[in-house]
Amino acid sequence: MSLYRFLIILSILVWGLTSCAPAPGAQVTAAVATEVSTAVGSPTPASETSGDDILGKLVIYSGRSEALIQPVIDAFKTKHPHVEILLKAGSNSELANALLEEAANPVADVFITTELFTVQSLAMQDVFQSYLPAEADQLPPEFIGPNQTWIGLTRRARVIMYNSELVSAQEAPKSIFELMDAKWKGQIAAAGTTNGSMQAQIAAMRQLLGEQATEEWLKGLLANDVTFFGGHTDVRKAVGSGEFKIGLVNHYYFYLQQAEGSPVGVVFPDQGEGEIGLITNATAAGIVKGAHNLAAAQAFMDFLISPEGQNLFAELNYEYPLRAGVPLRQGVQPLDGFRLAAVDVVKAALDFEATFDLMERVGLP
Amino acid sequence: MQRTLAYWFVASTGRKSPTSPWLAIAAGLTALFVAIPLVYIFFRAAGAEPAAWQRLLQARLWQLLGNTLLLVVAVTCGALVTGVSMAWLTERTDLPGRNVLRAMLALPLAIPAYIGGIVHLALLRPRGGLILLALEEIIGRPVATPSPLGFWGAAFILTLFTYPYVYLLSGAAFRSLHASLEEAARSLGRTPWQTFWQVTLPALRPGLMAGALLVALDILAEYGTVALLRYETFSSAIFVQLAGRYDRSAASVLSAVLVILAILILWAELRVQGQRRFTQIESNWRPAIRITLGKWRWSAFLLVASVVSASLLVPLGVLIGWSLQAFADPQTLEAVFRAGSRGFGSFVWNSLWTSLLAALLATALSLPVALLSVRYPSRISRFIARFCQVGYALPGVVIALSLVLLINRTLPFLYATPLVVVLAYVLRHMPQAVRSSESALNQLSPSLEEAARTLGRTPLQTLFQVTLPLILPGLLAGAALVFLTSLKELPATLLLRPPGFDTLAVRVWVWAGEGFYVQAAPAALILVLAAALPLSFLLRQEQIFSDSSIS
Repeated sequence: MSLYRFLIILSILVWGLTSCAPAPGAQVTAAVATEVSTAVGSPTPASETSGDDILGKLVIYSGRSEALIQPVIDAFKTKHPHVEILLKAGSNSELANALLEEAANPVADVFITTELFTVQSLAMQDVFQSYLPAEADQLPPEFIGPNQTWIGLTRRARVIMYNSELVSAQEAPKSIFELMDAKWKGQIAAAGTTNGSMQAQIAAMRQLLGEQATEEWLKGLLANDVTFFGGHTDVRKAVGSGEFKIGLVNHYYFYLQQAEGSPVGVVFPDQGEGEIGLITNATAAGIVKGAHNLAAAQAFMDFLISPEGQNLFAELNYEYPLRAGVPLRQGVQPLDGFRLAAVDVVKAALDFEATFDLMERVGLP
Repeated sequence: MQRTLAYWFVASTGRKSPTSPWLAIAAGLTALFVAIPLVYIFFRAAGAEPAAWQRLLQARLWQLLGNTLLLVVAVTCGALVTGVSMAWLTERTDLPGRNVLRAMLALPLAIPAYIGGIVHLALLRPRGGLILLALEEIIGRPVATPSPLGFWGAAFILTLFTYPYVYLLSGAAFRSLHASLEEAARSLGRTPWQTFWQVTLPALRPGLMAGALLVALDILAEYGTVALLRYETFSSAIFVQLAGRYDRSAASVLSAVLVILAILILWAELRVQGQRRFTQIESNWRPAIRITLGKWRWSAFLLVASVVSASLLVPLGVLIGWSLQAFADPQTLEAVFRAGSRGFGSFVWNSLWTSLLAALLATALSLPVALLSVRYPSRISRFIARFCQVGYALPGVVIALSLVLLINRTLPFLYATPLVVVLAYVLRHMPQAVRSSESALNQLSPSLEEAARTLGRTPLQTLFQVTLPLILPGLLAGAALVFLTSLKELPATLLLRPPGFDTLAVRVWVWAGEGFYVQAAPAALILVLAAALPLSFLLRQEQIFSDSSIS
């Protein structure tokens, strides 16, 4: 009886607490906003910021996971405190699906992806409107979509990370094809088919090596009992703890895991003579056709490639900013020294559907 | 023989009261509403290009079918064994502390299985689990503990959080079972063991079947736990298809197969339930005599205590510990409160109002169906009532898949509003409301309503002045059940939520997916406590806490 009463009282208490919760939440946000703007030197948060003119709701669909985009959104909000930002984070293809479904009745204003093939294929299906931010001339021209339908934000490389307590630097695989080697059987973790970066890697390999060689590689991974996770955060943690010896990830997952103090090492693979080179891709953003809040969407795009926005990507997530002159985070290996695989984005986007068919045919989880 | 319209409408029990047309229309509309996602999924699956079927048949379908069935069978058996033994120990023996344990054994229903899975995974994750690290610290070298990942892990975790269905239903059966039945068997020379198998268990069978059905359908629909523990079933494969591909026909194909599987299970249960009835003479009821466990007393206590620990105390303890940790660290606390697009308060509020609205709507919609099937029994009314059970066979991912496409095409003004989430909850949990309303009406004698009619009340007046007030506790129980399950719902909410709209379940899932367990804990704890509220109401109705049984 007493347990029961205790539970009831506890529940009522919690109920009471939660009903007042919005207020503390709002206070925290307000407090942060004030703090930042006073640091800039303005006594009142609203009056002197540039975002006075930007109001209303801005709906962002993001293929970057919430943890990797929310800090950027927060920084944007401190500049434009009157805009309410609604985020839906998911996988690139899930959100791309939603954008296509919603074409007649658009919900989102801005779409952010973790690779270029999805934005390009949506651009070809007329989902985006053209917008070229004033500072886009600071980006390499190959990272601006045809008809200015999308802009690239940051670059990331597909690397092999390993647990350095279990694998020596010499032993570690130097090529993604070594992942098929039976000596790593059951000891490799990678991301599954829902992950945009993995999809993009397979699409890139199809273009570089052809359908057959890519299929053999995927079958080799499956035969080698590679464990496929829903996302790379699981992969890096599993390698960091030693549950798996090897992980196939984007480069920043190695740095994030290293920052947590785990014994991990990294290989930027396929640099040898005759090998395919390092596979890279880029995150990108576009404004949805029929966006309800064009002013806010444009301001957000501007912010994403501004020195401040680019610096956030570099500092918080160890990515390679596309904007010229934004420094890498200290310790991040520059891409200059590596031979990069050359992939034609437009062609890969046209072939993207065939990549999905391949993954399904092979039975990739 | 030619079947006339009268054949379908005349009550099979011989009652000849004419069906009110308005009632029949309301019930029919409810059934139509429930039918929408079902029909739509089959329509889509049939329309899928043959190549999609081909690819799936070649690579995935058989493996998924095997995986799913294996898990369903394993968890159902596990839940049956655990549930019945726990019910027997707390209802029929002199187990120490049984009054407290009896309540605690039911409470894991308030904990969504994926939250339990998150806690156990954090504790036992191979080479990184908290228990492993602690043991390593104490012993000085790495120790192997069983991994919660894969088939065995998923079966174990899901058993821990679904056995309460069996436990509650068999506990109720144990309590209502006439003592004289077992005594007669004993006096006719049966051993206690024989008596249990030949008398007690058959009498428990309806309750066990119902419990097993709930568990089996729950496992078919389960997404969070299997995704977390890396065991692929139909539900998680459909989710992956939806998240990973542009083409939705493969997801429709998998959904259709899953729904057929669920309908088969549902149908089998209805068949078995329909065949046998156990009638007990209601006079002279007295509780069975408790069995003295003797020297087994404390080992039995340990057994029950370990089940309670694994399914309730450990998850709760860990969540409380993490929450305290979150509150102790200002930075984490700020992250907790500012999370999502609209902060902590918004998703607590979202969880509560959507679940509450779903509970009210489902109960209201269940009323005409229950009235028709109970007061005007005929083949059609029974068919409608049975048909409304179909929500049991529609996992959250399937409902999400059909709603997302349907709503955008037919009701675009509803698209990307939280009401779609509510709609999914109603569709999914309607069966619980229908069953509760039916059983409430069954317990109300029609003579009361007839008296009201004789005294000049219109049918509508009778409904509002006599029927509804009298069946209100039953309706509330149904609403509490819908509220509880909606609160815990994950996959449909994940797929259908509009931008910036989070619920507690979604937040916990997103945070845990990033490995932010400490941040996720306060939300998980509030979710569990909010679910404990309707659960305790339901348990009180079950009289699980009553002290009337002889000690």
